[in-house]
Amino acid sequence: MNSTKFAALLGLAALMAAGTAQAKDWKTVRVGMDATYAPFESVNPKGEIVGWEVEYGNLLCAKMKVTCTYQNQDWDGIIPSLLANKFDVILSSMNITAARAQKVLFSDMYVATPPAFSTTASNKSNDISPAALKGKTIGTQSSTIHSNYLEKFYKDSVIKTYPTQDEPNQDLASGRIDYVMGDVIVTQDFIDKHGNGCCRVVAAIKRVPEIHGPGVGAAFRPDDKDLAAMFNKAIAEVDADGSYVTLEKKYFGSLDIRGK
Amino acid sequence: MAFLDLIIGPDGWGNLLMQGAAVTVAIAVTTVPFGFGGGLLLAILKGSPNRLLRAGCDAFTTFFRGIPDLLSLFIVYFGLQAALDKVSKLFGESVHIEVSAFVAGVIALSVVAAAYSSEVWVSAISSVPKGQIEAALSLGLTKSQTFRNIVLPQLFRIALPGLGNIWTILLKDTSLISTLAVMDLMRAAFEAARFTRQPLIFLPLAAGIYLIISIVSTIVQSQLERRSNRAYA
Amino acid sequence: MLENLSSFIGLPLLEDNWPRLWSGLLITFEIVITSCSIGFVLAYPLCLARMSKNWVLSKAVLGYVTLFRGTPLLCQLYLVYYGAGQIRPFLTDIGLWTFFREAYFCCLLAFTLNTAAYQSEIFRGALSAVPKGQVEAARALGLSSFAITRHVIFPQALLVAIRPLGNEVIGIIKASALSAIVTLPDLMGATRTVYSHTFDFQIYLYCALIYLALTETIRRVLLVVEARYSRHLHVTASAAVAAPKQRWGRARQVTPQTP
Repeated sequence: MNSTKFAALLGLAALMAAGTAQAKDWKTVRVGMDATYAPFESVNPKGEIVGWEVEYGNLLCAKMKVTCTYQNQDWDGIIPSLLANKFDVILSSMNITAARAQKVLFSDMYVATPPAFSTTASNKSNDISPAALKGKTIGTQSSTIHSNYLEKFYKDSVIKTYPTQDEPNQDLASGRIDYVMGDVIVTQDFIDKHGNGCCRVVAAIKRVPEIHGPGVGAAFRPDDKDLAAMFNKAIAEVDADGSYVTLEKKYFGSLDIRGK
Repeated sequence: MAFLDLIIGPDGWGNLLMQGAAVTVAIAVTTVPFGFGGGLLLAILKGSPNRLLRAGCDAFTTFFRGIPDLLSLFIVYFGLQAALDKVSKLFGESVHIEVSAFVAGVIALSVVAAAYSSEVWVSAISSVPKGQIEAALSLGLTKSQTFRNIVLPQLFRIALPGLGNIWTILLKDTSLISTLAVMDLMRAAFEAARFTRQPLIFLPLAAGIYLIISIVSTIVQSQLERRSNRAYA
Repeated sequence: MLENLSSFIGLPLLEDNWPRLWSGLLITFEIVITSCSIGFVLAYPLCLARMSKNWVLSKAVLGYVTLFRGTPLLCQLYLVYYGAGQIRPFLTDIGLWTFFREAYFCCLLAFTLNTAAYQSEIFRGALSAVPKGQVEAARALGLSSFAITRHVIFPQALLVAIRPLGNEVIGIIKASALSAIVTLPDLMGATRTVYSHTFDFQIYLYCALIYLALTETIRRVLLVVEARYSRHLHVTASAAVAAPKQRWGRARQVTPQTP
């Protein structure tokens, strides 16, 4: 077969494939997560991915009677990877937003924690209004609700975006930046475990629906409506039998991560 | 000692780092036949009489040589999987082609290495004396026989220094895969630095391991060059 | 004019996000031009030190060059940026923290150290390409060593170095995309931001085309420049400077690519 013919065939294949979608018999589900987000998901010294969302995923997968495998994937590439079929679902504290919903299909919400500002311990100001933070440097993870929020409301601040949420925390600790915006639980976890008194959470903010959406959901390829339905059913079951609350207690004590 | 504990203690990161180093070497070594082979293929096609084919190969080389390797890897890593998926859908669910992060990384690096090495091969091909080819053709060998029996055996020796250069680029480019998903040396070191808050332990350690790998490959390379040049000494 | 470029092209995705990409492109320019220039200035003394008869000096530079050429630039960048963050109190004490605080300067430092290592090797290759006999002849004619360097060695060495130096600039343009990883909103960083708003993968392809336009322009200008300044060689078909088709053979010593 010469190359022109081959190229034509490839093109034809792509054309024909464009319209097809098929039901799949799910036996194993590949979960993608950005494991830089303790305590939800992180890598331990053995190289394993551990955290609340892994255990929660296991609960869901047990209900669905499927085997789940977990893969680490950088945040910036997590949606392209899902769409490119590198895994089947994102369980990575991904908030349900309108912009993302144009590319992926979301399950029902299963976590909703407030975003928060943190700052250095030496900074005594509790004012986090855009006016107070004018000219200050605020760090956050790129491609997140937090970066979108900052870009919208903190136009007069210097916004620095990082590949993970952990790096702005590090830079806050070393004094490179003045504030960090991030999930309140993740921020507090960093301060408790690694902060050495470097930093403190100033205040959590109220979720702005058009930016933050209703909360965190699992994300699927738009074609995989059956898988999304399975997950929604499992999410409801895990809620109903009380295992959600048990897991919540194990990781977060009395904290409510559902925003009820 | 606390800092040794971080590396070789029960919860130390040394193990992950060594595994990462193995992944780095494995990716680079696996890429060589595809990357360099692909480059040779490109170089041969660039000499083809078909103008469209030639232009296509040139465009491929120009594109992947002209953009940041990070971007090349990104585009191939995601673009390729999407394309594969479309093709596999054509054959139905039974032939779903599963590409692991490792394989996808190798393919992405191979594309970059092919683009770089095709230049080396082209200049190697053109530095085989024309007289030899003319002589072979006038002896009645076909063009492809001439290439296989006269040109090809000499190519490796001529191309070796250039390929060695690309090998070192390749070795270092594997670190870029770490920004995608693969737990290679760079990624392992960065995870360790992140977790322990000790970048000044783990990043120099990683740099040291890279350095050892690249020094070893320089030695291997000069051995290879010496061997392949024996007949010409 | 370039600020409005995209409205001529008429691609909505590019049109909407061009201002961001444009400011990213400017940062890329700044980083590349600054680090390559400083690297160029550092490279010559480094090269002389490397070629000097002083064993310690020569080996020290060899170590430096090996280190920066043998490890990934990404690793060097992480090391400078996050390493500095770890020893902040020390850096504050010696007054260097204001420098290391900025991602911009960390990138500049990492890229400059990296390119200086490569460029010094380019110089070394170029200097050793000048035939020894010419230097001896010049000395026999009674020229001072400064005059020999200025009038005999430099013009020829620079000619040999044009292409590898240009390749090095191209290499740094490509490598500068890494600065997005440490928060610098360069062209690659801007592209990532646009992607995070639009989730449209095409923006990466546009970004690639911009980089391509940059690197191809430089490559082509370089070919013209080289052809122009080596006219005299083509007339005599001198073997002193290798013909273009052999460039990869020489490339091993003098045109390492980054990262």
